Amino acid sequence: MTLRAIFTVLSLVFAAACGENGNHGDMPKDAPAPQIDAGAPDASCFTDPHTYNEIINACTTAVKVYKDSHPPLLNADGSLPALP
Amino acid sequence: MRSLAFLIALAIALPHRAHAATCDTLPNPVYLQVGDTQLNLMKRLGRALRDNKLPDGSPNPITLVFITSGSCTNISAIYTRVPITTNLQYIPSVAEVPAWTPTSATLSCTPPAGGVVPDIANSALFNSACTTDPPPATVNLSQGPTQAYVMAVPMVSSQTAITFEEAYFVFGFGVAGMIAPWVDEAQMFIRTITKSTLLAWAANISVPSNKWKGVMLDGSPMVVSGINSGTAAAIGILGAEVYDANRATMKVLAYRAKGQYAAYYPDSSASSRDKKNVRDGHYTVWSPTIWMDTVDGTGAPVKASARYVVDLIAGKTVTPAPSFGMIDIVAAVGLVPICAMRVNRAFEGGPLSLFTPPESCTCKYESLVDTSSCATCTTSCTTGVCRNGFCEDH
Repeated sequence: MTLRAIFTVLSLVFAAACGENGNHGDMPKDAPAPQIDAGAPDASCFTDPHTYNEIINACTTAVKVYKDSHPPLLNADGSLPALP
Repeated sequence: MRSLAFLIALAIALPHRAHAATCDTLPNPVYLQVGDTQLNLMKRLGRALRDNKLPDGSPNPITLVFITSGSCTNISAIYTRVPITTNLQYIPSVAEVPAWTPTSATLSCTPPAGGVVPDIANSALFNSACTTDPPPATVNLSQGPTQAYVMAVPMVSSQTAITFEEAYFVFGFGVAGMIAPWVDEAQMFIRTITKSTLLAWAANISVPSNKWKGVMLDGSPMVVSGINSGTAAAIGILGAEVYDANRATMKVLAYRAKGQYAAYYPDSSASSRDKKNVRDGHYTVWSPTIWMDTVDGTGAPVKASARYVVDLIAGKTVTPAPSFGMIDIVAAVGLVPICAMRVNRAFEGGPLSLFTPPESCTCKYESLVDTSSCATCTTSCTTGVCRNGFCEDH
């Protein structure tokens, strides 16, 4: 088995583990814009979660809903404005 | 039409007054003041306890006599010993009303003269979300099943998900938040500020309870009614188990927490009932239910039957064993027993951490709400521990 074949198989395994709605292996459709989730790791799911960020983004067989959201009142740096 | 729906909801929610009896004449009454999200639990557990039997088959009934109110009000009631003076609700035994089901109305009884301080109070979120005062030495706190909270929309809505940021603008700014289609504050059905549903969501979306926009309603049935008669712009907040009982008429929104890559339903899909995402941390809007009873100066329960009920709800082993399965009841009302949780948190809306219960019941729980791939057993397992008929991992 060539190195490329091994890489392909591993990629498919990880894609299957991380997604079930046919959108996976790539960045999710709603991959958070940098101004919203600045500092977040890439969109790969976590297979062995320990921290909060890893737990909420752990690999799962559950249905995921990707939403492209750009609230118009977000500050330019992506932060939330104070409440009125 | 909207008024008619509202009246029908009230008629279903309110106890039947025609059956009014004196509460203290009921068999072994235990008085409770619980959140209205716990009504379905009170109904199913109340029925089971009224028909409870000892292992030898002789009757061992307990009557849950209760009112529903906001979590913060309930905490205050047991901390400061505020008597209940209004009529209370209870569930009839099979012998009394054979045809009664959990969809039936409760019966009504009158409190003893001077009212009655609840033996048990319930908060459907961390007490610290209501008050920073520590509980008095006379009150014992036990953690019960996990309660998830949802945002729901009418069937006419095309929405499937809401993000942390969107929820912040919708409920913190109202119309000015400009998050379509949720730009009509008369179509935003929320709860009053003593209610766990609002407080739990408030902690999760960073909108303090006194800053929320929308129509503040006193009871979950009113939110259900509002959503059901709402337009495509309608949205409401509910306990997940309230939503579960009304799935036929509304849709739950998947929720994407801050820093999360995708939105998730409380369950593994919109149509399942497994609370998988609550249990493993993908759905973040949940709270532990807290059950409080009164203790004496030595820490012993003042009323043994009240502690029996609290321990049952908290998933502890009780003696004598009940003649029904408590996990079955918890699962049936949309709550998650602690023994099936794999994440925990220390305060309302706080970060999740990994959690391992002392004795897992995941296999049993999943067998009730979905299907379990665990091996079944009667006494022992080749791997894991035989418990409740399944080989649990520990």
